[in-house]
Amino acid sequence: MTNAFMVSGLTKTYQDFTLDHVSFTVPSGTIVGLIGENGAGKSTTINAALGLIQKEDGIVSILDREELDGDVKEQIGIVFDGSNYPEILSPRKLNRVMKNIYRTWDEQAYLRLLKQFSLPADKQIKQFSKGMKMKLAISVAFSHHSRLLILDEATSGLDPVVRDDILDMLLNFVQDEEHSILVSSHITSDLEKIADYIVFIHEGKVVFEKPKDELTERYGILKCGAVQFDGLDKSDIISYRKMDYEWQILVSDRGRMQKKYPKTLIVPATIDEIMLLYVKGEKAEN
Amino acid sequence: MKGVLVKDLYIARSNIFVTIVSLVVLGFGLAFLLEISALLVLAPAAATTAAFISITSDAASGWNKNVITMPVPRNQIIGEKFLFYILLAVLGTLAALVPCAVIACFGMKITLYSLLLYGTIGMSICLLAGGISLPCAYLFDPEKSQIVFMMSFMAGAGIITGLVLFINVLFPVKENVLLAFNIVLIISAIWFFISYRIAVKVYQKRDIS
Repeated sequence: MTNAFMVSGLTKTYQDFTLDHVSFTVPSGTIVGLIGENGAGKSTTINAALGLIQKEDGIVSILDREELDGDVKEQIGIVFDGSNYPEILSPRKLNRVMKNIYRTWDEQAYLRLLKQFSLPADKQIKQFSKGMKMKLAISVAFSHHSRLLILDEATSGLDPVVRDDILDMLLNFVQDEEHSILVSSHITSDLEKIADYIVFIHEGKVVFEKPKDELTERYGILKCGAVQFDGLDKSDIISYRKMDYEWQILVSDRGRMQKKYPKTLIVPATIDEIMLLYVKGEKAEN
Repeated sequence: MKGVLVKDLYIARSNIFVTIVSLVVLGFGLAFLLEISALLVLAPAAATTAAFISITSDAASGWNKNVITMPVPRNQIIGEKFLFYILLAVLGTLAALVPCAVIACFGMKITLYSLLLYGTIGMSICLLAGGISLPCAYLFDPEKSQIVFMMSFMAGAGIITGLVLFINVLFPVKENVLLAFNIVLIISAIWFFISYRIAVKVYQKRDIS
């Protein structure tokens, strides 16, 4: 399987933050969710990969090309948080602008998407709601035959109905396995619905890069008391949190753990809970 | 580059229209008080305010970030702004020529010499000011760059005065006024081009987020 997007050892240092040798891939035909708390480095990773900020180290390969030239950019659709288009323009005027920017601009597809999303073609963007602006940005990203979509916190701030519409579109986009999506979000429930892989970034470092099914089907939270906790093999513990009345322990194979510790309660872990335990939990000392 | 230029023309369209109408009206109004061709000094500078409206709009809307991800190289993004600035200056000059031509048709005396002289001064101030303010628009935040934009016209006028005084050392300007201001125009054009090269160099390395 080829990779539509690959970063290896991506590094960028700011005064108070370091993106530290971030590496992960987006295999062709898949949706990869980039998760992490605010300020974890998701946007910095995307910005560095797209050449918005200068990287200090590392390799970026997009659609098998290390140089992000015009030909590659023609095939990438980017959706940032907000519309990022001049608000004085209307979708119809934006069409004329984009027609002169993208060689592969498909006017018919764009107008069809405007209609599908019920976006008024002649209304100024400044009169649009946040959901409408996001739909417009997605319409643009879908109208130049992109092979790779990159969405940076694109669904945050949208109501569940609009988010669901957008998630359906993203799922349709990857149906032919020629298209791929990298979507960064801290709304992990969205990613549970659509992502094939999850990349978790914390404090500028990749904590894990795993198939989503492995996380949802194998990871679990072991709930027990202090005595049971003391009796656990510490190498089974990824991280743990002491709550008011119980200990919550993140384990990577809940089936195996249930057999090993039959008297404990082990429940499936959501991506949110996994993220929370990694960020706020403590590491067990062997 | 064409798409970015189309975008800027859309943004600045209403402003360009207001500026052109104002220049024409001002031209007719001034015609009875002073030499109308003097409007050519003011016209290019007045017209280029639309370039800064588009720069401010780009920053406010997040377009600066978005356009980097499009198939438009960074040097073309900067090049378009400089081209747009020049187009506006030429448009302003042409707009100022309208009342001059109409007044001339009614028999008022307007010499080619005065049109060339004032046109040269206006365009020189505009090029010098743009050479200062356009790169600064990409170095500073929008508020600071607007201040620089306003100051740059004063700086441009000051530099012209300095250049004329310097040329006067080489030959008497009073006897060769048009030649002296043509030299100033050439220097201004060279400065504008150097400024464009500097802006491209700075913007290539600049983090946009």
